[in-house]
Amino acid sequence: MAQLVFFNVFNGLIVGAFYALMALGLSLILNLSGVINFAHGGFLAIAAYLAYTLIPHVGFWGGLLLAPPLTAALGLLIERFLIRRLYRRDPLYGLLLTFGLAYVFEDATRYLWGAQSLPYPIPASLTTPISSTYFFLTGYRVFMVFLVAAAVGALFLVLKRTRLGIRIRAGTHDLETVSVLGTNVRILRNLNFGLGIYLAGLAGVLAAGMLGLEPTIGSSLIMPSFVAIIVGGLGSLPGTLLGGLLIGVASGVTTVFFPSATEAVMYVMMGAVLLVRPHGLLGEPGRAQ
Amino acid sequence: MSHDPSKKKFSRRTLVKAAAAAGAWQLVPRAVARAAGGEPVRFGFDDTLTGTYAALGKNTLIGCELAVEQINARGGILGRKVEMVVEDSTSGDAGTAVQKARKLIERDHVSFILGNVNSALALAMGQVTADRGILHIVPGGHTDAVTGTACHWNVFRVCNTTQMEANAVAPQLVKNAGKRWYYITPDYAFGHTLQAGLEKAGQKLGAVKAGADLTPLGTTDYSSYLIKAQAASPDVIIFLTQGADMINALKQAVQFGLEKRTHLAGAQQELEALEGLPPEARVGTWVFEWYWKQPGVPHLDAFVSAIRKKTGKVPTARTWQGYAAAWSCALAAHAAKSLDGVKLARAMQGLKLPPEIGLMPQAPFYRAGDHQLMPTLYVGQAQAGTAGSEDLFHVSQLVQGPEAAGPVEDSGCKLTWPHA
Repeated sequence: MAQLVFFNVFNGLIVGAFYALMALGLSLILNLSGVINFAHGGFLAIAAYLAYTLIPHVGFWGGLLLAPPLTAALGLLIERFLIRRLYRRDPLYGLLLTFGLAYVFEDATRYLWGAQSLPYPIPASLTTPISSTYFFLTGYRVFMVFLVAAAVGALFLVLKRTRLGIRIRAGTHDLETVSVLGTNVRILRNLNFGLGIYLAGLAGVLAAGMLGLEPTIGSSLIMPSFVAIIVGGLGSLPGTLLGGLLIGVASGVTTVFFPSATEAVMYVMMGAVLLVRPHGLLGEPGRAQ
Repeated sequence: MSHDPSKKKFSRRTLVKAAAAAGAWQLVPRAVARAAGGEPVRFGFDDTLTGTYAALGKNTLIGCELAVEQINARGGILGRKVEMVVEDSTSGDAGTAVQKARKLIERDHVSFILGNVNSALALAMGQVTADRGILHIVPGGHTDAVTGTACHWNVFRVCNTTQMEANAVAPQLVKNAGKRWYYITPDYAFGHTLQAGLEKAGQKLGAVKAGADLTPLGTTDYSSYLIKAQAASPDVIIFLTQGADMINALKQAVQFGLEKRTHLAGAQQELEALEGLPPEARVGTWVFEWYWKQPGVPHLDAFVSAIRKKTGKVPTARTWQGYAAAWSCALAAHAAKSLDGVKLARAMQGLKLPPEIGLMPQAPFYRAGDHQLMPTLYVGQAQAGTAGSEDLFHVSQLVQGPEAAGPVEDSGCKLTWPHA
């Protein structure tokens, strides 16, 4: 039993890292623009399908390299022509727009690539378990954890060290002041949206290697990301990372004792956090209001 | 304030006139058609065209469309052309499925309802169609209750019950894999009844349950369940998940190398799922409800090439189910010489599908006692093939429907007729 729990904690961290990657993109957009991007799963699916289409021409690694920036470019366009128009309005409008976009993306992928699941090829070197005892540690999952760690590291570096990152962080706290100080807020929001969608794209390509590639791939992954943000705390990127890891572990451990509640436990956890600490584990009280 | 030409042109009076004209337009063709005795007979298709089961619903639709083309080419139904009215029920919202069924009956005046892939939606639609007295054929919702405890005088089912599938596959599971079974079961009606069916069938053969996990519908990550299943050291991990869940679960199990440690198998398997899996994950013993490649089945090649012409791919069991369901409507109308619901249902009882529609080694028929089609079940093994392969299943045993279904009394169905 102890070994089973240990295995599931370990495995939960791997799964959680993936949730965190999706949630970080969502969190970036929410923090700066106040838009709850329901279409995040749709962008994820588009990236996965783009990679699938590119793989015969550029191989697995080429797909992994090219699909996320292409999806981010689509994100920049969507932000520029649709989402930007709604910033001054009630947040509900942005929510409705992205909710609608999620459906548009899902049906567009169904129209372009078909409703049928597609087999997404991954290199043979990544498909085998690297240890006989820890059979759940396949080459692909270890690679995924490293890539997530690298992406998160790079993101935090961008936010800490670059001018763009510093402006994004400043804008998260007080966008008006940042604007008054001469930053073009429109461009800032646009680039930030693109950065968030890039992370969604990366998550999409990684997900396609583990799951069946079908039009609902994004919508089935989006809810854990929202939960990760709320558990971790609105406005806090380290919180989102922690939230993602925690729900991954909680789901894994629940499997051992109460398997049908693996999904429900995320929401129970969210409810508990909201009751005890409404601004989330690492969130700032002001942001939760 | 500003000059707006559209406002100037579009007055209230114009709107009223337009509405009246549209209303008249709606009436005229129907009146003309009635006068000519040529108003089409309508099939109402209410199935899963979006969401998790979209691929299955779409393949069902393709089969229905081919059947309708053929029915019309042979003179239609009672000398009238057949027309399909297609509605998306969504994959999981019973409210939408019921609302669409009502719309098809009340507004489109359909004579037949076809649907649904999702068992829960099929059951909900059955209530509506029974109330309205419309013949309803369920091409692909498997839970036992549809032709069991919740059966209706007007509801007939083409696909198998979960108990039939369990009974058909259980001996092969024992033979190929062993007797300690671990279940990974989707947490809804279909999964529960399929697991119960397998436990019942397995018990008779000495199989024991090594463990079972209920997984929420739409689960993406199966790793924690697989870790637990492996720890129980079963002879076989039985996957009862369907659609995307089946693909996710099997793909991850094979990535973990579990097929080298134990057997991976299940009951119902579909070509749609095998096509979505990478070749190395196409493993295990399963039941197919119909297969496009079977020696000694007359007319099979013609059907396969007709579907290939439409879609570029071979038909799946779902395509055949849609085809058989739509053709059953025409056959029933022909036998009843009427479109009256009760007369049609009476004609369906015991109806045998002719070889060009049955497309199975033995002619399937609708059992009169519970309205369940008695087809052939195809037990066999998934085969890897290559990335673009079409032949992904090797049939090793054919099980006849009545043998798999057991006596009609076991179904729990008690038919109550409206005029009885």
